[in-house]
Amino acid sequence: MSAIGYRGVSYGYPDGPLALDGVDLDVHAGEILLVVGSSGSGKSTLLRAANGIVPHSTGGRFGGDVTVFGRSTRTHLPRELADVIGFVHQDPEAQFVVDRVEADVAFVLENLGHAPDAMRRRVEEVLDALGIAHLRDRNPATLSGGERQRGAIAGALAAAPSALVLDEPTSQLDPQGAESVLAAIARLNADLGTTVLLAEHRLERAAPLADRALVVDRGTVRYGPTAAGPALADYPGAPSVTRLGRLLGWDPPPLTVRDARRLAAEPGRAPMPTFAESEPSAPNPATGALATNEPARAAPGEVLVAARQVEVTLARTTVLRGVDLEVRRGEVVALLGRNGSGKTTLLRALAGLRTVDRGTVRPKAAVAYVPQDPNSLLFAPTVREEVAQTVRLLGRTDDGAVAAWIDALGLHDLASRHPRSLSGGERPRVAIAAVAVGGAPVLLLDEPTRGMDAASRHVLEGAAAGHATRGGAVVLATHDVELAARCATRAVVLADGEVVADGPARTVLGGSLFAPQVLRVLPPFLTVDEVDAAMERS
Amino acid sequence: MRTPTETPRPWHSGAWSVWALAAAACVQLAPSPVYVALVIAVAWLVVEAHAADGPYRHAFPALLGLGVAFAFIRVLIAALTTHNGLEVWFTLPQTTVPDVLGGFTLGGTVEATVVLQSLASGFTIVGMMAVFGAFNAVASHYELVQSSPRAFHELGLITTVALAFVPATIESAHTASESDRARTGGLVVRRGRLLRTLVPVLERGMERAIALSESMDARGFGATPAARTDRVAGWFGLGALLALGGAFVALIGRASPTAAALGFVGAALLVAAVALASRADRRPRYRLRRMEGADWVLAAVSVLAPLALGLCSVAGADSLVWRASPLAWPSFDPLVALALAPLLAPLLRVPDPLWRRRTAIVAVFRRQNSGGVVA
Amino acid sequence: MTTAATLRRPRAHRTRPTLVYVLMLVLGAAAFLYPFWIPAEALPDAAHAGDAPLIAALVGGLVVVAVALEVRRGTMNGATVALLGVLAANAGLLRLLSLPGRGSGIFFLVILAGAAFGPRFGLLLGFSSMAVSAVITGGIGPWLPFQMLGLAAMGAGAGAVGLLTVHLTPRAEVLALAAAGWVFGLAYGALMNLWFWPFQRDGGALSWTPGMGLGTTLRHYWSFYVAQSFAWDAGVAIGNAVLILLTGAVILRTLRRFAHRLEPVVELDPLPEAPSRSHALRA
Repeated sequence: MSAIGYRGVSYGYPDGPLALDGVDLDVHAGEILLVVGSSGSGKSTLLRAANGIVPHSTGGRFGGDVTVFGRSTRTHLPRELADVIGFVHQDPEAQFVVDRVEADVAFVLENLGHAPDAMRRRVEEVLDALGIAHLRDRNPATLSGGERQRGAIAGALAAAPSALVLDEPTSQLDPQGAESVLAAIARLNADLGTTVLLAEHRLERAAPLADRALVVDRGTVRYGPTAAGPALADYPGAPSVTRLGRLLGWDPPPLTVRDARRLAAEPGRAPMPTFAESEPSAPNPATGALATNEPARAAPGEVLVAARQVEVTLARTTVLRGVDLEVRRGEVVALLGRNGSGKTTLLRALAGLRTVDRGTVRPKAAVAYVPQDPNSLLFAPTVREEVAQTVRLLGRTDDGAVAAWIDALGLHDLASRHPRSLSGGERPRVAIAAVAVGGAPVLLLDEPTRGMDAASRHVLEGAAAGHATRGGAVVLATHDVELAARCATRAVVLADGEVVADGPARTVLGGSLFAPQVLRVLPPFLTVDEVDAAMERS
Repeated sequence: MRTPTETPRPWHSGAWSVWALAAAACVQLAPSPVYVALVIAVAWLVVEAHAADGPYRHAFPALLGLGVAFAFIRVLIAALTTHNGLEVWFTLPQTTVPDVLGGFTLGGTVEATVVLQSLASGFTIVGMMAVFGAFNAVASHYELVQSSPRAFHELGLITTVALAFVPATIESAHTASESDRARTGGLVVRRGRLLRTLVPVLERGMERAIALSESMDARGFGATPAARTDRVAGWFGLGALLALGGAFVALIGRASPTAAALGFVGAALLVAAVALASRADRRPRYRLRRMEGADWVLAAVSVLAPLALGLCSVAGADSLVWRASPLAWPSFDPLVALALAPLLAPLLRVPDPLWRRRTAIVAVFRRQNSGGVVA
Repeated sequence: MTTAATLRRPRAHRTRPTLVYVLMLVLGAAAFLYPFWIPAEALPDAAHAGDAPLIAALVGGLVVVAVALEVRRGTMNGATVALLGVLAANAGLLRLLSLPGRGSGIFFLVILAGAAFGPRFGLLLGFSSMAVSAVITGGIGPWLPFQMLGLAAMGAGAGAVGLLTVHLTPRAEVLALAAAGWVFGLAYGALMNLWFWPFQRDGGALSWTPGMGLGTTLRHYWSFYVAQSFAWDAGVAIGNAVLILLTGAVILRTLRRFAHRLEPVVELDPLPEAPSRSHALRA
């Protein structure tokens, strides 16, 4: 039975182009359907059409019909569908109406006019279902991202809807938070049979949960919905093991490391490519990145910024303890570590934005820091203006640096757009351009790939590698191990304010905790590109 | 284990409101410095006993300080501009301000009576501030908003949304200011900095508002068509305002009884309007904390104080109001002090001291002070 | 079940709300300005003259309630509540930014938002910002109804000005709003002083005693205003004007980008007889 059905749905935002163009789709009751697509492909619009936010809250031109458990969104407003379908979006800070978790969860029940006893019972049940009962009295501002998102899911579930729509719920979260949210979703689907319509970028964790998946491109359903493996096989943002499987001709392409290992170990498989340690390799022409991470590939140059025995204390907790770090010319350093391990503080200290309590930071060249949240930086009316603004602020004249960085980050086609009208994957790139254009040799990027789709990540990797090759250095603080595997030459791991590992990327990533997927299936290869290059050689 | 960050306070915020109004009325009814000092002392005791650690706790000293500042300025102005020629302390050089600016004399004689009288009336202002500072420190604003009549549901919601967004906005401002510094490599470029920090915060806030609105729409919030009771309530409201207008007109025409009558009619219509509008929305509220018997008792007891003072003044107690001339110490009447005693009622039930040290608000502010995201 | 061909707020019954808002301004002002017109006989004897300010506060409170009622539950959609909430939070926090001359940032944001979104929004924003600011700063007291009414009037006034200036060039609009901000700042300061002025009964040339008559009261108040406030309140007015001049163009543009979410206009294409993948859409 179809829980949510789209029939010939077309939609255009007010004064805007068509966002959805003829979508036909059936979401089966009780399934988890994964919606995948690059930024601006129409994913979010598709999801919002499921409960009527598109078109009733956004305005615009709507054609076709969406039915949710028999009710049509043409004739039902979003609030009239609140009892059958719930909605959660990606910003954990923008879903709370009241500053108490319990009261916010009850919001939907108050609006729907439930009796007080029923409200009480439902709120208790749903808090338990999400495992946040101990947080009921807390102010959401004091919770972590993962806890807040679970609170938002609780708020969406309180009225016991049969379906749940989630628009990139984990994109702003750290890995632990993302885990908890996805686990909660899986549990809800398994225990309650809730139909789930889920959009995600980071597919390593989400893809294995899905019953079916579909790919959205330019407002239409390009592929699917079918089983997740085949649907994602050709998608550039697919999990590494899936792309590996596609490369090696495994059918069906695996979604998890476990499935991939099983497939790799199957007798009768073609022999795996061998990893040649000493062979130098040519840079991949598409990304500009090098396919192997040989430590001797390009001798790292002089030290551009050195931190010695740095200690930083914030609000009576010691965030950094005796940290030694050197960043050399030509390196791309991945800074890995849990949330709270001190990555951001270290970057800020290196950039001179934060004074150290003990130890020294000695920059031999200019160091520029790109903040985590690009939204805190963007204010100009066009992208070009935003980047040019930095040059002006530094009192220089534009000698082509603006154009160069706009091109390096793939913003050429977007140069006259308003930065705020760009999608979540494009905005960080604008922020990076705006800071990098200042000409600093050392670039510190703090979680640049949060919320980015595969295409943007690609561009970013190329820009980082290019900058390093041209004589700069890049330090990337990230949770994304795959990103580190693809473009880092060196990896540094921070834990509890101390450096616990510092060495060539291949060596450090080879340690168990931060291993990329390909490494776990086909050691010692780190990325799919490496496997590809090795296969070409043989 | 459940770590409560806000266990229910001993008294409902509605009872606190009545207490605050009663105390303010006492200050007005007995403006002699002696009694005002008593009221301030009561307020201080209440704050010590009931205020939770957190940002609102400093409302009391803050408002007190504000009152003192106001009073000081008043005394200064009064001393420098009022000249009655009695009890002169010293004389300053004087100048007369041109007529267009008021034509008063600045400087000249500084007189004891003037200074002391204005000190006394300044002190009543300090007293008022103390009362409301105490109220803000001990009452739960969230509870107040939640208990407001259903007729003001949307306005209450706007306030709760705003309060829910305050921490995020503060953090947004910190990040924007720091990002601006980061953009120029650690230098602070002052030109245009206001715009570069304000616009991202505003934009981010608006985007979050839109996201929140979608979340609210999806959770059943929305405009509803007007029920008949709503329309009736609306006309009652208009009628109330017209009655009040009539009361004012009657006052000008020196017809005080008519004015009072119209005033009451206006107030009654308004109460009826609110009641009707609230009833039109039949949806119950989640875990509403109602005023219990004890809260009503506290309210009633608090009202006894100004009533007693009123009785005192009718009975001709002279010590209620103090005048600077003829110069004399303010007199103290134990009966009047007794009349103020009911204001001490909130001290009968005091919260657990352990609770006072743990509040979510402290945690929020600590997180703000830690320099934002620590990662 | 509601049909949702187009969804705009019903435009019926505009007379009553307008009447209420007008009365709000008149009565609020009257309650506030009572020293200027109330005759001595209307007040009880000198010992109880101190009640007058509290009664004025009560009346102010009643007016606030009446206006709140007129806003009427059920007329706001999620976008309105959310935008008002966020802007009230921003404005309320801006008040903590003390600028020279006792000015604060709360005014200029309310003025600009009123100009961008309309008089009703400006009125509501003035109300909410002051209420939220009072909660944040711990300043709830009998002065609050007047502050709310004052800022609401400012927001509504800015909305009215905005309706006119939207046809001007951006630069002219900013200038007009800056001028309006200056005037509003002066008026607000002058009115707010009235809260404390009648308390002061020292019998001098700057204070008030009941029954002085309109002319004398005006003269005394003017002297008081000059002595105490002119420098400070001019600071508020100038602060408003400067902030609007500096930031008005950008902020207006920013705010107006979101205006369409307040009253979304939906166009539904008729369903075809047989399902087809694409149809021509009305432009």
